[in-house]
Amino acid sequence: MSTIQETEPAAQSGAAPLISIRDVWKQLGEQEVLRGFDLDVFTGETLVIVGRSGGGKSVLLKHIIGLMKPDKGDVLVDGESIVALSERQLSRVRKKIAVLFQSSALFDSMTVEENIAFPLREAGHKDQGLIDAKVAGALDMVDLAGEQKKMPENLSGGMRKRVGLARAIVIEPRCILYDEPTTGLDPIVADSINRLIRRLQKRLGITSIVVTHDMKSAFHVADEVAYLYEGRVYFKGTPEALRASTDPLIHDFIEGRSRESRSED
Amino acid sequence: MSLFLRLLGRNVLSFCAYLGQLLLLAVDSFRSIFTAPIRWKLFMGQLLEVGYRSQLVVLVTGGFTGAVFAAQTYFQFHRLGMDSAVGAVVSVSMFRELGPVLSGLMMAGRVGAAMSAEIGTMKVTEQIDALRALGVYPVDYLVVPRLLAMMISMPLLVAECVGLGIVAGYFVGVVLLDVQGAYYLDYMLRFTGSRDIKMALTKGVVFSLIIVFVSCHQGLNAKEGAVGVGRAPTEAVVIGSLSILVINFFLSLILNAIFPAGV
Repeated sequence: MSTIQETEPAAQSGAAPLISIRDVWKQLGEQEVLRGFDLDVFTGETLVIVGRSGGGKSVLLKHIIGLMKPDKGDVLVDGESIVALSERQLSRVRKKIAVLFQSSALFDSMTVEENIAFPLREAGHKDQGLIDAKVAGALDMVDLAGEQKKMPENLSGGMRKRVGLARAIVIEPRCILYDEPTTGLDPIVADSINRLIRRLQKRLGITSIVVTHDMKSAFHVADEVAYLYEGRVYFKGTPEALRASTDPLIHDFIEGRSRESRSED
Repeated sequence: MSLFLRLLGRNVLSFCAYLGQLLLLAVDSFRSIFTAPIRWKLFMGQLLEVGYRSQLVVLVTGGFTGAVFAAQTYFQFHRLGMDSAVGAVVSVSMFRELGPVLSGLMMAGRVGAAMSAEIGTMKVTEQIDALRALGVYPVDYLVVPRLLAMMISMPLLVAECVGLGIVAGYFVGVVLLDVQGAYYLDYMLRFTGSRDIKMALTKGVVFSLIIVFVSCHQGLNAKEGAVGVGRAPTEAVVIGSLSILVINFFLSLILNAIFPAGV
């Protein structure tokens, strides 16, 4: 299956991609999750990867940050191949890329403040005043000012995502990976998270890769959308191009129509 | 026959693979102690949790084991007129076998289960992925503080277990069962030496390694879902306890050659 539409404005301008995924193959158990996946992500853009649940979107994100290694293919971050790097060598690469996990993955033994300060302390920051200021700034950015002392168990799903996001941005990464940022949230909280992603991208100029199956979220935040189907990029283009697509596979996905409902029509 | 051989082969291979993974974790952890900065705050927290807070369990175990062992030994020896040898038997047995093994088993239950459940929960809630994504190597952060805390705590806990066992044995033998106190102590001191203390402490350190690596490995490899997280501590306790019992036998043979029992 080939990519049916391609628009790569940044590529045309000649800039080198920040993240490059080259012909990546990955098998998990019996299932071949990624089957020759190719994708370039350029500095400053917000790329949304959409696709069915279980289609390999989260697996793809884990490859970008080296949490998983491909069976075949290469992943380049800032021009450097990360596939052969050891876990310790990957620390250097991981300072450039932050992740907002699907479950937020806050450390439940730490307060909100300690969670956000964690990457700073790990990076060697010792000045408590500076750490406090950075934590307060990050919390302010995600509209959670003053919630430093709460424990993660006392936060709602939306607040956890925000704290996760504050922990991601506090080290000023060049790129943030969002794994299903709106899954499990009510539509209003989901909308506020979408706005937050957009705002961070505008204010900080951070490159963003968002993995989701929430089309509303995709249309809200994306500069570019890639549709992942059967382990490959089936479509890549602007949200408008995706919406205008007449391809039945894409159309059904956007409209949320299953095969059964199509046959009923 | 071929099915039997195939099953046997598969089990042997998976056992070897498991041992290999444990060995790699051990090598990685010891390398980390010398190459990565030690997280003192986490280490102190673990020392408090696995050392200080395990004392009651180990003391009760040691105390009542020593007491019942003294009573049973007395009941048998009394018929032969060897009452005064009770102290020596209790002391040597507590040092060489009962103290380390029972402390090990209790710690495998208390600490091993907690370690694997905690790390397993972190695994399935993506907290370990979050650590890695934040550039922190999970072995440095999770395994090393637990390893150091256990290696320090375990010999001390074994010593407490043995100590209270001997005191309880003395109480039962001399106070409750009328063994002559002076003879009890004399025989005990004559048959117990530094070789027995060294054996107890060596076993304590070895068992601490078994508990830490088995438990951390189970936690780090916990499968998704409630069943996966539930299975990690169960397997950690079962594998840890059985390993302690099996390894103790071989360890006793080896250590007996190094620190022979006797006068």
